[in-house]
Amino acid sequence: MALNRKIAYINLTTGDIEVKPIPLDVRRKFLGGRGLDAYLLLNHSEKGCDPLGPDNPLIVSGGILTATCASATARTHVMAKSPLTGLLGSCNMGGFFAPEMAWAGFHHLVIKGKAEKPSYIYIHNGEIEIRDAKNIWGKTTTDAQWAIRDELNDQEVKSLVCGPAGENLVAFANVMTGIKNAGGRTGMGAVMGSKNLKAIACRGTMDIDIAHPVEALEYNKRFIDQITSAKVNKTQGTLGTPMIWGATNSWGGVRTRNFQYNQCEYADDIEPERIDEICEETMGPYHMSGCFGCQVHCRAQYRIPSGPLKGKYDEGPEYTSQGAFGGEPDCTSAETVLVGNHLVDQYGMDNLEVGSIISWAMELYELGIITSEDTDGLDLRFGNDQALLEMVERICFRKGKVADALANGGIQASRIFGKNSFDYLIQVKGMSNLHSDERATPGLALNIATASRGSDHLRSRPAIDLYHLPEEVLQKIYGNPVPYNGKLSSEHTEYVGKPWQVFWQENCYMGVDCLGICKYHTTFLGATLPNFEDWPKVLYYNTGLEFTPEELWEIAERCNMIERLFNLREGLTRDDLEKGDMLNHRYFDEPTRRGAPDVVGRTIDKEKFVRMIDEFYEHKGLDKKGKPKTKTLKRLGLTNEPSHML
Amino acid sequence: MAVDTNKMSGAESLRKTRTYGKFRCHNPTCMGRLEPKPGDDHVRCPVCTSEFRVAWIRKDFPRIRGPVWEVNKKLAEKAFKKKMEGK
Repeated sequence: MALNRKIAYINLTTGDIEVKPIPLDVRRKFLGGRGLDAYLLLNHSEKGCDPLGPDNPLIVSGGILTATCASATARTHVMAKSPLTGLLGSCNMGGFFAPEMAWAGFHHLVIKGKAEKPSYIYIHNGEIEIRDAKNIWGKTTTDAQWAIRDELNDQEVKSLVCGPAGENLVAFANVMTGIKNAGGRTGMGAVMGSKNLKAIACRGTMDIDIAHPVEALEYNKRFIDQITSAKVNKTQGTLGTPMIWGATNSWGGVRTRNFQYNQCEYADDIEPERIDEICEETMGPYHMSGCFGCQVHCRAQYRIPSGPLKGKYDEGPEYTSQGAFGGEPDCTSAETVLVGNHLVDQYGMDNLEVGSIISWAMELYELGIITSEDTDGLDLRFGNDQALLEMVERICFRKGKVADALANGGIQASRIFGKNSFDYLIQVKGMSNLHSDERATPGLALNIATASRGSDHLRSRPAIDLYHLPEEVLQKIYGNPVPYNGKLSSEHTEYVGKPWQVFWQENCYMGVDCLGICKYHTTFLGATLPNFEDWPKVLYYNTGLEFTPEELWEIAERCNMIERLFNLREGLTRDDLEKGDMLNHRYFDEPTRRGAPDVVGRTIDKEKFVRMIDEFYEHKGLDKKGKPKTKTLKRLGLTNEPSHML
Repeated sequence: MAVDTNKMSGAESLRKTRTYGKFRCHNPTCMGRLEPKPGDDHVRCPVCTSEFRVAWIRKDFPRIRGPVWEVNKKLAEKAFKKKMEGK
């Protein structure tokens, strides 16, 4: 059965390894993936533990449906306390690693301690060993994976690695698998580096029994049709995720020059169609590929078309790299975007954080808060492509005063830069914002303010809010699986109903993260994609577990509350600009200047925003301070946490 | 058992509302329906006068590639000036 996949506790200090089954009652409360990881983190970490210390547990998982007959169960999740934020650390990536780990016998790993010397973990058909990584330490993410395959003499091994950035404890270092599958945000690669853990390699050939295989395959055909017929997925299959940046830039929803503008003008060279042309020119007409079990194929392949790195192969770029190396620093060259994307993939660094934090430094440089003396003569102005790419390398290897400060994250760097540098830092809970600008979209602003891992579009963003769907359609989506009798607005510049939409999306995204399915297969960018009503069928046919949509909703609520409990334990308070559910003052004070006529001149109304947070807390069962009410914890069965069931 | 294979979910039932060949103007409170002719590389919103460059995913599936910069920039500057005067 898929449900016989186990959990392994690995202590890198002592070398002890313990393997346990995952009890069914734990599955029924947390499913798997991110939800169960959150439970494990709360239960296996002490309050105030050092994120880069040996006691911070690094938790790696696949979802409950990983490697079954369900579609797109490619996602790997990694969780620990974040060295970037001091709060919840979490990242999620596609590729082929999690299915391989499931075939090797495991759904969850809890890794504690610190190895005496660089090491990697090898998991093979139920066996786990800790091996010497002297031959792979120091290598880039791709080279490290190829070296492991060579060392193990098995080209089918799938590895999860940190790159040089993780080894150098860059606070936003990624965990990577494959060429470009990036577990970005919150610095999980640095947690690996702090443990002297270069990689986790998996190879598995153990069968996974499907509860109702014929029905599972039959239903999956219908599921696939639902996925592939969506207009958004047809577009993604042609242009990849860059289509998101292109559309958002068109109306004025992307940050440019840090936060000075909300549209990157004359960006034709980095628009998705232009990037697609380069992919076709360098890789031929069939340049789109996909993750395990996915039919969307949103992953482009390319070679850098010109310049010093001409001919280097990579994948993507994702829309996040267009923002990081295009819009935010106001560099409108496709080559710069493709090179920047390549560098962060190879170094294992979060493109979102890198782009945001360099753009912040560029604004500080232009304001005179940091000087050319601080940058060792680097002319860190907006639009300087070479300075941008130079800074990527400097941050990874901590070269120079400014880059070394930036490598610790924005909040730490602002303390070094001093003056009023913090006022210009676009972050929530210590994590930089996506390249998006939410001043014209209150629902999206509420999402980034309240997301559990910091300013994050993948935790609760009501992205379909941008489509102006009719209210009856919104009611059909947001009125299930639990009724909602309040108002909903088709207007994305409005405040009405947005707290419920954010609450609903928060539960929806937790749901797919527990199942191990990609977010492009749920109500993220498309209104017709599967969610709570569809998931019970997939779960039943594949695992035999029966759930109602309402039960799955409650599990998602419970898992989100566990993340909240962790953050509260580690110091989250409602209005704290460093550790709270609050936005930078610029959202409230500086009007948008570009984009569509109805977008310009917008700020977030602070009074309405505060009321939205109150309402959002009410939906979640929190009090005015953002702490769970006693009756909420009782309803969700969380009164005794940490309960140490596993 | 909660599973009813024949029952259509809310998300599935919304598929009938899908349209091809059209898209909405990117101006939020306008959202006029735009329907470029096959092969057109440019479209103008008859409601708010914003102009967009058009790309085609398939022969029957257009999307907005981006704004016509000079046109929409002037509209934005005009709107910004008006809004700031009102504050």
